Amino acid sequence: MSEDRVLLRTAGLDRWFGGVHAVNGVDLEIEKGTLHAVIGPNGSGKSTLFNLITGNIRPSAGRVWFDGQEVTGLPQHRMVQRGIAKSYQITTVFQSLTVYENVRIGVQSARSPYVFWLPASRMKDVARMADELLERVGLRDRRDEIAGNLSHGELRNLDLAIALATRPRLLLLDEPTAGMSPTETAAAVGLIGELRQDLTIVMIEHKMPVILGIADRITVLSLGSKLFEGTPAEVQEHPEVQAIYLSGTGAS
Amino acid sequence: MAIAAASPTLPERRPPHRRGLYDRLTSGPLSQLAMVLLLTAALYLFVPAPSLAISIMIYGLWAVSLNLLIGYGGLVSFGHALYWGYGSYAAGLLLIHFGVGLWLSLLASMLIPGAIALAAGFVCLRRREVYFSMLTLAFAQLAYFVAFEARWLTHGDDGLSNVPTPPLVLPGLNFALNPIRDPGSFFFLTAAIVIVAFALLLLYTESPLGRVLQAIRESEERARACGYNTRLVQLITFTVAGMFAGLSGGLNAISHGFVGLEPYWELSGVVVIMVILGGRSTLFGSMLGAAAYLLLQHYLSNAFSEWQLILGAIFVAIVLSFPQGIWGLVRLEPVGALRGLRRLLGRGV
Repeated sequence: MSEDRVLLRTAGLDRWFGGVHAVNGVDLEIEKGTLHAVIGPNGSGKSTLFNLITGNIRPSAGRVWFDGQEVTGLPQHRMVQRGIAKSYQITTVFQSLTVYENVRIGVQSARSPYVFWLPASRMKDVARMADELLERVGLRDRRDEIAGNLSHGELRNLDLAIALATRPRLLLLDEPTAGMSPTETAAAVGLIGELRQDLTIVMIEHKMPVILGIADRITVLSLGSKLFEGTPAEVQEHPEVQAIYLSGTGAS
Repeated sequence: MAIAAASPTLPERRPPHRRGLYDRLTSGPLSQLAMVLLLTAALYLFVPAPSLAISIMIYGLWAVSLNLLIGYGGLVSFGHALYWGYGSYAAGLLLIHFGVGLWLSLLASMLIPGAIALAAGFVCLRRREVYFSMLTLAFAQLAYFVAFEARWLTHGDDGLSNVPTPPLVLPGLNFALNPIRDPGSFFFLTAAIVIVAFALLLLYTESPLGRVLQAIRESEERARACGYNTRLVQLITFTVAGMFAGLSGGLNAISHGFVGLEPYWELSGVVVIMVILGGRSTLFGSMLGAAAYLLLQHYLSNAFSEWQLILGAIFVAIVLSFPQGIWGLVRLEPVGALRGLRRLLGRGV
């Protein structure tokens, strides 16, 4: 696989929490333009893996490359500036700011982060992009609402809009359909399908039908290590994966 | 895991309304500036003692600078007297020993506390919440004892007396100021400086940087995930707040012709009270809080010898019944505020 087709590569990524080996020597290669799913039972290290990639926590060992450049141990805000964004499993928005301002903050970071001598309202292109994003996630008519007043489904869309606002090249989605009704899930899957047109996506997801429908490749984690990686069809065939994950209650 | 994520996280405080016209009128930047102009006019017209009106403007600016940290940054500093005090010393010492003009002494009263705030903020901002507050208090304590021990420079607890009043020098103007004999002119000068400073701080809160500051207050984690160096934003703000606290201290030194070594904990506490009293959600609220505090103090201390007891009780009542402060009450619950006012004034209104 030639290096320039790979957007994100990790080698021997390792993370200990005290005596717990949360992530154990994970090698990943995410190709540009693909949608890569990470599955595994609770406690298998999926979220920790995400946090290592976004720079939220530092790896105990191992290295990370993004777009050919090593980014191991960079702080989170630097990772975002390079084009890695994350949406949250437990919705994390700016509660008492308006919906519009939430997205505007995200858009602004790539344009004029630390300007203090001009009013933010002067930046017309930032405002326009924020409004476009609200349109895209279907929150246009909730624009002036305080974010804390949104419904759960709306909050998830806002969370996604903030992540998109930083204009990422790699988007990490941590259980994007968690807690959604079937209708909302269908809408979210449709949105993800649109996003993958111009983004590389890595997502953690528990709902197997969702994953099997849209993922190009699937990595199965178990106890912090990579158990298997392959296409959705290969993963479904794999006996060990079936035993650990597809049977039982994992897909709740 | 998926089930835990499904329960929506409830916000601790949510403003009841979407941002409508009334909200914009009471918190928009231009309306806030207009309110300060109105307040200034009211102080000039209705406050009997000019020195009190001058103090309200000066303390108002100080409270506004602290509200940048408390209300906009979510950073409760218990050591804001440090910057006020060192601003006073900077202006006082330069006027006494070097006879520099008004503008230079005020510039120094911003730059020296600003430099101290940069260094102190670098340390304090490594911790959050109450630990941050304790660190700011510790720095104020440190600075207090430095000023106390450096008697050769600060005259310790005797203070710097006889700080000369510099003339107001502007292109084509050289006007002799005298805060005691001609308090009116000094009030206008103070008001002009405070209003310009207020406008600059308003611009700061409306700027991209100031908006990020407010986002960090809501969720530092998410602000970082948006690509912001959150600690840098907070450090810049801490420095700016220190600079404007210093400016108000410098103005105070000039208006009194004296710099005293005042207890840092009491002074730092008073300015926090002003911010809470006025309401944290707007800069204007802090100005109003300072006015309310000083006016209450003035009238109560004339009427009762136990005025601090009464002031304390009023403060407790206000925090309990409307934690958003005076201006927050007007902003968020105008109908309730009107009803309360009616009840207060009797049924005739």
